[in-house]
Amino acid sequence: MSRSKVSVLALLCGALIIAYWQFWPKAIPGWTAEEVEVLRSLSLSSLQDLPPNPSNAVADNPLAAEFGSRLFFDTRLSANNGISCATCHQPIRRFTDGLQKGQAIGTTDRNTPSIVGVAYSPWQFWDGRRDSLWSQALAPIEDAREHAFNREQVRSLVTDDAQYREYYESLFGRLPEPGRADAHSTNVVFANIGKAIEAFERTIMPGESRFDRYVAALVNGDVERQEELFSDDEVRGLRLFISDANCTQCHNGPLLTNHEFHNTGVISFPGDIPDKGRVAGVREVMLDEFNCKGEYSDDDKRSCDELEFARTDATLIGAFKTPSLRNLENTAPFMHKGQFATLADVLENYNVAADAMIGHNEAKPLGFSQRQLDQLEAFLRTLAAPVQMMATREGQGD
Amino acid sequence: MIVHRIVAIFLLFFGLGHSDAWAHGGVVEEDDLCVIKVNYLRAHFKVYQPAVRGLEQFCEDLPAATQSIFVMEYQHDSLSEMEVDFRIIRDVTGKGRFARLEDVEQIADIEGVTVFYQEPVVEPDVYLVSHEFVEEGDFVGIVSARQLQTGKLYTAVFPFEVGFTGLGYWPFFVGLLVLLQVQYLYMSGRFGKWFGGNSGAATLLVIGLCFAISDVSASELRVSFTAPDGQPRINQMHSWILHIADESGRAVEGARVEVDGGMPEHDHGLPTKPRVTEELGGGDYKLEGLRFHMSGYCEILIRVATESGTTVAMIPLQL
Repeated sequence: MSRSKVSVLALLCGALIIAYWQFWPKAIPGWTAEEVEVLRSLSLSSLQDLPPNPSNAVADNPLAAEFGSRLFFDTRLSANNGISCATCHQPIRRFTDGLQKGQAIGTTDRNTPSIVGVAYSPWQFWDGRRDSLWSQALAPIEDAREHAFNREQVRSLVTDDAQYREYYESLFGRLPEPGRADAHSTNVVFANIGKAIEAFERTIMPGESRFDRYVAALVNGDVERQEELFSDDEVRGLRLFISDANCTQCHNGPLLTNHEFHNTGVISFPGDIPDKGRVAGVREVMLDEFNCKGEYSDDDKRSCDELEFARTDATLIGAFKTPSLRNLENTAPFMHKGQFATLADVLENYNVAADAMIGHNEAKPLGFSQRQLDQLEAFLRTLAAPVQMMATREGQGD
Repeated sequence: MIVHRIVAIFLLFFGLGHSDAWAHGGVVEEDDLCVIKVNYLRAHFKVYQPAVRGLEQFCEDLPAATQSIFVMEYQHDSLSEMEVDFRIIRDVTGKGRFARLEDVEQIADIEGVTVFYQEPVVEPDVYLVSHEFVEEGDFVGIVSARQLQTGKLYTAVFPFEVGFTGLGYWPFFVGLLVLLQVQYLYMSGRFGKWFGGNSGAATLLVIGLCFAISDVSASELRVSFTAPDGQPRINQMHSWILHIADESGRAVEGARVEVDGGMPEHDHGLPTKPRVTEELGGGDYKLEGLRFHMSGYCEILIRVATESGTTVAMIPLQL
């Protein structure tokens, strides 16, 4: 054989070896008992009952949930009669809007978050500037860029609409007489409207996903069913998710969020200054008149542990609430200002984990190959699931 | 302009002229960190051009005329209580790199040459301004901080260039210096020694650190905890009972107890600010407001102040 033939052959062999090493499917090692435990903790079957919200006496009242759902979709709760909560929180998009920033009467500062399962979170908004769903629901109603309505107009609407009046009075007692309402009684009505909306929102939960069925099959030792449910890439992606990718540092528990605030060094929105996030949000919630300690809270004991023990320091600069990964499907663009159009962009952000523009990026660069990133993304897509409308806790006995 | 730059590089390079050139503050690079000095007040300074350069940081000179975000992260707490304003002017001093506060003060119509002005504002966390440059050229940034009680004004002036394309003469000088140093070490036979010496120092440093850490956990107090549900749980607010005893096991009563902690591997503290809310007697203290938000190694630091002094004990936790 001539020398050139030998070298061509050697090159070919080399290429084959590399191709085999790169692309030949390798046997996937089974899950260890410890890993199964971790997976079980992420499964929806580990989700505990929704904790009560003592600051809202009607949080689990079915009539309040019914009233709340009417209010949620009512465009009369706006200055132009055209904006309801559902304008941005569209049920068909898992209660988001598909836009980078919320668009109502004006444009908001941030991306519209999903409300599926958020009743479990002690903090609302990306920066946690409210400490309950009911106080959260009030803020957009009065925001000039959202509903641009005000509390007096809310009181009038509830007073003038016979059906609303009936709902209201059977839940909260008599409405103030028109003309005799003062600032305090108006605030009470306004807060109660928020409480009804919360009762509705507490019924919106994620349904079972392919991932949850996979974990069930795993726990039952049903190998055939596991293979039916998850492809090799999805299994590998899941393994990365709970190990080298460090995702479960923040995306843990059955809702795949720790409900806390973290800086992950996401780039600022074009034209905006970087968003300060939680460090400003925590200051705002302390001053909110509708917070857990405020006079409109129904919690007589004012047992407001979250407010009481909230961290307020500079480590929260540029930190935002960890969103649940159960709401990835149909909710792009991602991150607090919709900076990333696709899941691949999000993963790339963690893969590089550059220094944050403000504050400190808690994520460490993953340095994954494209293949690994694709596997992670494949796994994330297995979390897709329909929204489940639950019965309110008090309604369950009926 | 080029002459200015060469002179500036020489001054910076040989460690001269820092105090001279930036007598009234300014932006300097110290140990890879870009710092703005407003008199004795300091802040970490960086500029971003996210539209064209993503998350790349710039210290002064900016590559393009585009949206530029100036970030000041205070290293000095008093800045967070001061009124800070931020002005960018076109450089009409004719001094380029050497523009100083005096030169700026001589400009008769400062408003006329101002391209950006941020009114004074007290910003407690991090100071941010954004300006969209419409043209390339030489500019001067002026940052003033006013002490609200005394009215005293501190000012920093930093000249910079927008549309700064090249790296100037830096790579040439750095390369030359490295070459010279390597040649010197090699010729003098110190190459091996130099590295040997360094690893020795590193070992000493590590040993020193170990001592420092063991000192904290081996305080003369013994602190133990009981969590009501047995193991500390993740993502749930809960409380502990701390038991504090001295070396001989005698309960420590009437102490002031402060608690902090964090996860050293993740560079962050606890998600909440737990607090001792009640002394239960017999050396027991009720610690409320604890929550852990991820698994991993966590350290809880218990600072116990008694009449005889303050001691810190550490509780290591594997969550």
